[in-house]
Amino acid sequence: MTDETTFPSPAWFDQMVADTGARPDLYRRLGFADFRLVLKVLDDGRARSYGLSFDGYDVSFEGELDDLDAFGADATLEGDLDSWQEMIRNILRNGRADSAHTLNALTIAETPLKVSSPDPLGRDKFFRYAETLQTLFDSLGHQLMVS
Amino acid sequence: MTVDSVDSAYLERAQQGRFDWGWLEQTRSEWGVRARPSKVGLTLRDIAVGSYGDVPDHPPRRTMAPRGSEVDPDVPDMGYTINEKSEVWADNLLDLYEEAVSRQWSATRDIPWGELPELDPDLEHAMCQLSTVLSEVEMVASDFPAKWVWRINHDFVEAKMFLCTQVMDEARHTEVFRKRALANGGGLGKAKAVVERFLKLILDADSYDEGSALMHLLGEGIVLSLFRAGELIAPSPVEKKIFRLCMQDEARHVAYGTMHLRYRLERDPSLAEDYHGYLDKGEEIIGMLFSTPEVVEPTTLLLAGSRKAAEDLGLAGADLLRGRVIAEYLQRCEYAGLPRRGRLKLPSQMLTGLDAQVPA
Repeated sequence: MTDETTFPSPAWFDQMVADTGARPDLYRRLGFADFRLVLKVLDDGRARSYGLSFDGYDVSFEGELDDLDAFGADATLEGDLDSWQEMIRNILRNGRADSAHTLNALTIAETPLKVSSPDPLGRDKFFRYAETLQTLFDSLGHQLMVS
Repeated sequence: MTVDSVDSAYLERAQQGRFDWGWLEQTRSEWGVRARPSKVGLTLRDIAVGSYGDVPDHPPRRTMAPRGSEVDPDVPDMGYTINEKSEVWADNLLDLYEEAVSRQWSATRDIPWGELPELDPDLEHAMCQLSTVLSEVEMVASDFPAKWVWRINHDFVEAKMFLCTQVMDEARHTEVFRKRALANGGGLGKAKAVVERFLKLILDADSYDEGSALMHLLGEGIVLSLFRAGELIAPSPVEKKIFRLCMQDEARHVAYGTMHLRYRLERDPSLAEDYHGYLDKGEEIIGMLFSTPEVVEPTTLLLAGSRKAAEDLGLAGADLLRGRVIAEYLQRCEYAGLPRRGRLKLPSQMLTGLDAQVPA
């Protein structure tokens, strides 16, 4: 079982993304999405970026990104490693993000996480798929509860 | 249908099985065009093939005949008043329609109403007041497209269909906030004239251009930010889910509004000044909304958690929210091709810090 200490390893992402296969009816009911999201992790002066792509009802982890332009992100979700890990810890502790740790709550003031995009449409996609995104991240807590 | 309009001779022949199949082979629509389903099913984009995918800038008729069909020459004129594609079109329209259909939800089924916790009376009052305002403002975003959709030429059927999804989305928002107000013992709060005046401005718009700018771009942009704030300050996971689901719908409408304006201005830049005029009239709602106690105080109370904490917080929360509203709105205007930074008329204290987010 992965936790905040394994973030942002491929295993961590793979486990999160696997939830869409484990609970396909849930994600199908939320509806399809068309979204390319970069998760940017700032750690000790270094930035590392990871790609998630939402295509129809499928979500794929695209690995660590060397070429951000080639990935063609709609939006980037960025924060320091501590903030990411705090969010994950909260989800695992509560089974889902509590009031202060949902993706929206963490980004609305642009701190500790921030959503940015090349244009407003890309940023608005972060809101258009808000429930799918939160369900995906909360799935870490769900998986822990059912395991 | 009168008796005279019935072709008795045809009925007699048909009764004997003597059909004239000539019309079947001579139909002048496109034969052999086969739309292929994509990953999620057969979408509007999948069927935009051959001539069926060509949407005329100026349709030759004003009829309900499906675009691409062979149309009788004597079809009646339906009296459509929106007959120019750029008046309603947007490049993301087909995808937004499919997304809207795919992401529908039910305020009855999908909200875990049974999990609503008993709240402190002050917080319940605040949540009910916020629900009252949102239930009030959301219905105009059903009323406005409903008022205009029948006037839109049927060749722009995808635009009509998208607006129909908006009508349903906003009806559901009105429903879900009305239900929230009544679900936990608080009931409805106050409806303010200042809000109603803005809704009237949208509803009474002289043109779709004007109403769409006021509603899709300005009004729904504000409400999208309110939904984001609502998700942050929601007193329980039940309200959080409500706000997230509403946020999704609202962001689609804003995405349409932004791209529609961009499409419109790209084809006729001379309309920019008209749009500036519409928004000059409408933008005062930002200042009024964020100085209305029935909006500011419930959001502050929910954010702070108690009256005392809210008093300590003052306007810090409302200022943050207003800053997001203005910055995101100006960015959308800019992207649509209508830079508004220099024209926005709000009290100077409401524009503090904006330069960093949206350059003048």
